[in-house]
Amino acid sequence: MRKSIFWGFCALLLTPVFHNCSTEFEMNAENLNVPIAYCILNSADSFQYVRLQKTYLVDQAALETPPHPDSMIFPGEVVISIERWQDGKPVETVLFQPVTDIPKDTGFFPTENHILYRAKLKVQPLQKYRIYIYIGDKEKVMYAETNTIGRLTVVDPLDIPQRKISLTTGTNYISRWQPVQNAGIYQVALRFNYKETKDGVTELRYFDWPQGYTKPSSAIDFLSSEISGARFMHLLAENIPVDPGVVREVESFDFAILSGGMELRYYIESTAPSEGALLEKPVYSNITNGVGLFSTISRVDVTGLPASSVTIDSIAYSPFTRELNFLDHTGDRDSTNRF
Amino acid sequence: MLLVTGLLLLGGCDPTDNPHGGGDDPIDIKPKATGTLEIDFKVPYSYSLPPNKVLRADLSIAKGAEELYKGRFMRVANVYNNKAKYTFELEPGTYYYQAGIVCIAEGDSCSASNFPGGQWGMKWSIGVGVVTANNTTTVVPQFTN
Repeated sequence: MRKSIFWGFCALLLTPVFHNCSTEFEMNAENLNVPIAYCILNSADSFQYVRLQKTYLVDQAALETPPHPDSMIFPGEVVISIERWQDGKPVETVLFQPVTDIPKDTGFFPTENHILYRAKLKVQPLQKYRIYIYIGDKEKVMYAETNTIGRLTVVDPLDIPQRKISLTTGTNYISRWQPVQNAGIYQVALRFNYKETKDGVTELRYFDWPQGYTKPSSAIDFLSSEISGARFMHLLAENIPVDPGVVREVESFDFAILSGGMELRYYIESTAPSEGALLEKPVYSNITNGVGLFSTISRVDVTGLPASSVTIDSIAYSPFTRELNFLDHTGDRDSTNRF
Repeated sequence: MLLVTGLLLLGGCDPTDNPHGGGDDPIDIKPKATGTLEIDFKVPYSYSLPPNKVLRADLSIAKGAEELYKGRFMRVANVYNNKAKYTFELEPGTYYYQAGIVCIAEGDSCSASNFPGGQWGMKWSIGVGVVTANNTTTVVPQFTN
């Protein structure tokens, strides 16, 4: 009797174990079609853009299978509006309209049916903007707000053609600007313009080099970003292909100095590679009823700055770049020259 | 044959062998002595122009007067509004420099201050600096009114 009670007890214990060992289980949760919206107000542009998409689900390996274009956009009605607020009330309201004439860059996600929403709006500095996105398919309104940043005043470089830019091994360039109210992050981007002639055909080309981010500091007159001449030389060698049939000429440097809002700073920090034990950081979002980013940038471009003769000769004859066939500042190419 | 090959290999592995000669003496690499040429690039005051309308525009160094004249510079500094002193680490010797200032005022203010060509007109100062090892030589470009 005791033996049968014991075996009965064992069977009772093992029943849930066997029951739980089923090999069938759900890999994916149900797709919630979470709206994703990105809008970075640009004070240097007359038009503002919103990109609206949604989360999707595929049965295959997600990183190997691009989604169908229709699975990333909401069908039905979408209404996007933006308001500028002053003294606690909206003083300007603008509606966004869908446009498809801006092509998406190639990549993992499909390029067809690329919808952006555009509004003709000149962004005012130091104002509060609110964005509302109504999605009829979900009967949901997404909402976000941001404070635009002040005017960006660049100190260096100035648009003075006589002031030539030197970027060589041992000579760096320091870009400076005044701190901007409400700004959370800054970045300087350098564009090196050059001409390339092959088989009698000359084309303008460029090489872009974004610098690292600069964060605001308190109680200083200027913020700065130092551009390394030595690194510039190495990057030219790494990024411009060697072609013996090509002759190249240095054209100019363009500088873009950008400042971004606090939300943009949090977003960049949240998507940066982790350094600590916490490997997966949640991506920052300031959109209510969805995910994404609504922030602001200000941009100043200083273009067409000439390179100094030393920089041109250095690119033509330095050990790193001499195989790129750049002409020196006299328009010559003396192959015996060593800079 | 094997013995000859072995001898050649052993000979090739001599760590004291100096391809530039000198036998067993180690290569003596010493950094060349340098001095500093400091250029105190002051923008001259003009009675007829606001101070922010005359700016530093160019500061270049050449090994000789002819090199300077032909634009064959060995260094060209990045000049800034809020930086007056520029330093160059150079081997001892005599160097020529040119410093340029530009007038950016509109109207005829630049012409009235003797900037040739009016707005964007430049004035130049050319001079010499003698650099000696481990010393700093300071020169101050002078501009005419």
